[in-house]
Amino acid sequence: MKTRSTMSLLAAAVLAAACATAPMSTPTLDQARADFVAANNNPQVSQYAPLEFKQASDALDQANAAAARRESLNDVDRLAYVAKQRIATAMEVAKGKAAEADIANASRERDQVRLEARTAEAERAKREAEAAQAQAAQAQQQAQAAQQQAAAAQQQNVALAQRAAVLEALLVELQAVKTERGYVVTIGDVLFATNQATLTPNGISTLRKLADVMAQNPNRTVLVEGFTDSTGSSSYNQELSQRRAEAVASALGSMGVPRDRIAMKAHGEAFPVAPNDTASNRQLNRRVEIVLSNENAQIPPRAAAR
Amino acid sequence: MDQQHPMPRLLKSFAAATGLAAALVLAGCASPQKAPATADVAVSRNAVENAVSAGAAELAPAEITVARDKMMRANAALAAKDYKLARELAIQAQADAKLAQSKANSAKATAASNALNEDLRVLREEVDRMNTATPATTQQ
Repeated sequence: MKTRSTMSLLAAAVLAAACATAPMSTPTLDQARADFVAANNNPQVSQYAPLEFKQASDALDQANAAAARRESLNDVDRLAYVAKQRIATAMEVAKGKAAEADIANASRERDQVRLEARTAEAERAKREAEAAQAQAAQAQQQAQAAQQQAAAAQQQNVALAQRAAVLEALLVELQAVKTERGYVVTIGDVLFATNQATLTPNGISTLRKLADVMAQNPNRTVLVEGFTDSTGSSSYNQELSQRRAEAVASALGSMGVPRDRIAMKAHGEAFPVAPNDTASNRQLNRRVEIVLSNENAQIPPRAAAR
Repeated sequence: MDQQHPMPRLLKSFAAATGLAAALVLAGCASPQKAPATADVAVSRNAVENAVSAGAAELAPAEITVARDKMMRANAALAAKDYKLARELAIQAQADAKLAQSKANSAKATAASNALNEDLRVLREEVDRMNTATPATTQQ
């Protein structure tokens, strides 16, 4: 195509040179030549309208040849007109075919975009479904956890109730008295050797039960209080009550109750539970009282007078 | 008379030969001029009809008008036995009609291509909007 057009141009140039004395052309032929150059530079023309371009090129050759032969202006113009129309036709055909090719491309592209959109939508739906599923699974897990928690709480309640029942039973066994300071267990004089701070086997066994209660109720503390009757000097009594209280405290300690949960106080002859008038009443006054605190509570100090 | 005899014979044969030659020349000239002109005019009529059915009347009115006018003038020239003019006009009419047809075709194809590309642009916008809207709805 290129070669031919070059040849045509060359021929035209040669012919023009041959007639240099009086260059033979018409406005229509000039126009046709200019149009030819434009068409020749248009890549769409060579791609889509090679046949039409060939016909146009032939027509222009004829017009050029007529001009070279110096035929009448009328004849040259007539041939140039036909060439011009054929060149325009080649351009239009190329334009139309290019548009058709573009239609094919755009259709393919549109199908592609639609396919991509559908794929994206399907994937989004899938993701949403998966998210919903995950959410449902999570909800189920949460429900299960809540159920487990409820079960655990119930178990704990049962355990607490059991422990309370056990405590109750032990305290009954220990003849504990419920007071506003806590449960009070009294270790009577009979559980000590006379005038001694040594516990009898009965006293030890009572303390062991109390140590069990302490072990099962880690949130309770004890206050060990020692008392005597009014016989003898008050300093002796103070010391005896101190020793007896210590004996109880150390016995509890040896039974596994941590010492920081055991407080101790010697009261001597103070706070008698009975008048010191008879032997049996005095025996009642010689005692050690163990106050078991309420759950997580401090033991309030003894009121001054009683 | 005897001498006169060949004269008329010669004259006769000469006249006959001349007449024959003239007839031959006339026949030879007339028929090759008439046939191609008739054919060219027919071809140009065909070209105009094709252009019209391609929609040239609406899409290339100037070209089809010129083509039709020349085709009719070619017809008239053919009827007037001006075969040379008939041929010239027919060839031009054909070139005009071809141009009208190709112009109509390219106008239709260009319009279709533009419409399709516009469709494609709208579709792309829609897809983009959908894609950008997606993360927002997921985050909600």
